[in-house]
Amino acid sequence: MHISEGVLTNGILIAGWAGTLTGISIGLKKTNPDKIVKTALVSSAFFLASLVNIKIGVSSTHLSLIAPTGLLLGYSTFPAVFTALLLQSLLFHFGGIFVLGANTFTMGFSALMTYIIFGKLIFNSNNRKTVAVISFFAGSLAVIFAAFLTGLILYFSDKNFINAVKILFLAHVPVALIEGLVTSFLILWLKKVSPEFLL
Amino acid sequence: MKIRNFIIGLAVVGLIFLFNGEIFAHGTGYRQINLKAIPLEFFYSTGEKMSYREVKVFSPKDSKFPIQTGRTDEEGRFAFIPDVSGDWKVIVRDEEGHQCEAKINLTSLSSDDDISPYRGHNVARGSMAKEAILGVSLIFNIAAFVKLFCRSKNKNAH
Repeated sequence: MHISEGVLTNGILIAGWAGTLTGISIGLKKTNPDKIVKTALVSSAFFLASLVNIKIGVSSTHLSLIAPTGLLLGYSTFPAVFTALLLQSLLFHFGGIFVLGANTFTMGFSALMTYIIFGKLIFNSNNRKTVAVISFFAGSLAVIFAAFLTGLILYFSDKNFINAVKILFLAHVPVALIEGLVTSFLILWLKKVSPEFLL
Repeated sequence: MKIRNFIIGLAVVGLIFLFNGEIFAHGTGYRQINLKAIPLEFFYSTGEKMSYREVKVFSPKDSKFPIQTGRTDEEGRFAFIPDVSGDWKVIVRDEEGHQCEAKINLTSLSSDDDISPYRGHNVARGSMAKEAILGVSLIFNIAAFVKLFCRSKNKNAH
């Protein structure tokens, strides 16, 4: 879901950085120093998830772990996502430095929204089936929302991207289902073995 | 009499067209040509091939509209035949927004000239595991630095 360098207009790049820097500053203020190691752990998982390729027909995609990142980190999502995407950009050339603001915003904001909308429902529920279903929806909708935001950014940069946006959106439907399953299993497992790891 | 001759004439012309259907049809043909093509191979920085991805070729004359479009093959390969010298651009994009841009500077179109191999900037092939470990290590180093910074800040506050 990384937008490549040289695709977006200057206005969109600046807006992306503005949103990302706001998210990072709020995230740093709200991050509990005792939970920095946890933030690093989730950030590492987010960083490595992009290397897990999933074959879909002749095409392939990779995991993003947007929802688990948001659900586990809450407001600390933005600094974690920014660090992971910065290293992905430097080490694997995913995205780019100038477009890092926009990429961090699409994924960080989707993760944060997942936490705000689904966080309390998941953490306060003790029914495993309910948790599984809500987590599945959280995981799937996070990917759909991130794809929608990415599409919106591409569309506002250049209206000619409309076909690319449609393909991008459709390509992420199977990814959303896989991410939903991964999120569901992960949250259920953490609730069972280490509930204190959840916020 | 005139009408009869006209009908006979029309029937003869009709028969000619019937048995010579190729008169108005466009024929097709092919021949092998000996032109120098630019073969390129596209891959992700993880080493995975960019198979069956959308390709756009931009000539030095027009950087806005592609002169040729197509798809890479299973091996992530694509070739095009340049018709002018200058800076050519080949962009390969996938459905997720990943993009690889190959820039080729052609000084001459002579088939006698040897075309040197081109290599893009995103060619980190084979070192994925090493970079993944480095990335995780850097994240934890940053975390350790932030933790130390917070601790020293708290000490100073007390």
